[in-house]
Amino acid sequence: MKAIQVKQPGGPEAMELVELPVPTPKANEAVVKLAASGVNFIDVYQREGRYKVALPFVLGQEGAGSVTAVGGDVKSVKVGDRVAWTSVLGAYAEYAAVPEDRLVPIPAGVTDQQAAAAMLQGMTAHYLSHSTYPLKRGETALVHAAAGGVGLLLTQMAHNIGARVIATVSTEEKAELAREAGVDDVILYTHADFEAETKRLTGGKGVDVVYDSVGKTTFEKGLNILRPRGMMVLYGGSSGAVPPFDLVVLSQKGSLFVTRPTLGHYTLTRDELVARAGAVFGMMAAGKLKLRIEHKYPLAEAQRAHRELEGRKTTGKLLLIP
Amino acid sequence: MKAIRVQHPGGPEVMELVEIPVPQPKPAEALVKVAVAGVNSIDGHFRDGSLRMPLPFVPGQEGAGVVTAVGTQVKALKAGDRVAWSGTLGSYAEYVAGPEEHLVPVPRAISDEQAAAAMMHGLTAHYLVNDAHKLKAGETALVHAAAGGVGLLVVQLAHAIGARVIGTASSAEKAKLAREAGADEVIIYTEQDFEAETKRLTGGKGVEVVYDGVGKATFEKNLNVMKLRGMLVLYGMSSGPVPPVDPAKLSEKGSLYMARTTLAHFTATREELVARTSALFGMIAEGKLKVRIAKKYPLAEAVQAHRDMEAHKLAGKLLLVP
Repeated sequence: MKAIQVKQPGGPEAMELVELPVPTPKANEAVVKLAASGVNFIDVYQREGRYKVALPFVLGQEGAGSVTAVGGDVKSVKVGDRVAWTSVLGAYAEYAAVPEDRLVPIPAGVTDQQAAAAMLQGMTAHYLSHSTYPLKRGETALVHAAAGGVGLLLTQMAHNIGARVIATVSTEEKAELAREAGVDDVILYTHADFEAETKRLTGGKGVDVVYDSVGKTTFEKGLNILRPRGMMVLYGGSSGAVPPFDLVVLSQKGSLFVTRPTLGHYTLTRDELVARAGAVFGMMAAGKLKLRIEHKYPLAEAQRAHRELEGRKTTGKLLLIP
Repeated sequence: MKAIRVQHPGGPEVMELVEIPVPQPKPAEALVKVAVAGVNSIDGHFRDGSLRMPLPFVPGQEGAGVVTAVGTQVKALKAGDRVAWSGTLGSYAEYVAGPEEHLVPVPRAISDEQAAAAMMHGLTAHYLVNDAHKLKAGETALVHAAAGGVGLLVVQLAHAIGARVIGTASSAEKAKLAREAGADEVIIYTEQDFEAETKRLTGGKGVEVVYDGVGKATFEKNLNVMKLRGMLVLYGMSSGPVPPVDPAKLSEKGSLYMARTTLAHFTATREELVARTSALFGMIAEGKLKVRIAKKYPLAEAVQAHRDMEAHKLAGKLLLVP
């Protein structure tokens, strides 16, 4: 089978299209013929060696397809089942062996491509808005990078809950995307100071929650626009890591709460994984959650996919099609 | 009238007994004859200058007594009403003038001593278990300094909710008090490592919430005894301030939450202040919440009261009687 392998960490050119044997499933695994693999920033970090992986390895943490073989202990899936997964390495390939307990069924009404695109970012948006800080109707959320992969999904979920969404984006084009996703107020942070704007938009009261994947450049100001007892949800650091901060700031700015969640801790049990994926797929099947799959690349063009992702030229989801 | 005054920041000895005029209530204030004033760790922070205050000043934030005069804009209160308060500076005196909105009525069944002792510690304990982390039956809470002023009340409230309470205390004598208050387990942290013990007591699972008024000495280990997605509520710093925190630690240790809270943000509106005090006074009147008075001192012995408070030897509330 064809697969994208990294032998030495490096730039996009470190990814090579190679011919490998189709994997055989271990007792607890199923082999899946991939219909689509998701491209994520974590793939870039692993390719670069910023996140260590034993070499050589096949990239890719997310995919969807049909089961072609199962190990001896596998009970819940059978050959022919449509399944999706995330957080298992090896998805940039024609086939992948995945532990049964990481596979979730794809319902009718959701395509394989949609399922692959939704696993990481859709479940992230879901845990942020439904578990980390369960948003309620009438509350106000500030969503940074609202036109990004997670941002567009988080915005739709927050809007569907009935929350008011204030969003930051970098360009007018992205502002339009954010508005289509249900944002009530868009701040072009390249033109206006988001702290001053958010205060103005909330009449000085501040927001109930900040969802921040930007990190270094936004964290401090984010604390200034939370209402007393508000929640800062820091779930990424696209501008760099937030430096260590003095906790007294949290009490001075209003007895604030901070959390730094990761998807793994919100899909740790089989029950939670299946429930979360099921909820996201349900929203998609009902037409309440729209995914923008605007960038599809043949597997062989993984290098181009990474270049475009890193160049921040893309909006929505990037998929590789084996 | 007699009052305690601080002319220059410093140790307990900077508190002098002086004769000063009885304050005149401003239009929105009531003048109260102080029956008892509460001694709190924050009084020590103002006295030693670690929290700033224009000099000279009369310390003391908390007390109970009887209204003797009211300003022209005061509506709800009249001379003769019994009231209690916290957050009104100048309580180490025979009389204090406080804003009407800070004064809460004291029901007949509650003594002045109980009312004064219940204000800052009681309100703090109340917001900790009801709002900072809404404790539920079946959850496990780690309560540091469980025999301290706030600790004994947190333990009782948590126990009444149906939570399992693990307390820490410095001596067998204090451990006994914590157990009497309803702690299921008490770790004597001078003899045993609270991290290892908490892990053992929870079968390695950890606790849902840590209530910590200690700060520096306990912070790092707290992060190791919390369940996935657990909450650390830091409401004080009796051992010193916590050094700056890298938020990445919160994700590494299990998508943890952290808050640094102060009482003022949980009694910011008159409605919230009255609701919280009514709930507390109700529980005290019904015998469901016992406020432990550690020691009463004549006003003139404020210096000794602060020495005792800072030695952490007494369990429960310290009061000054003018």
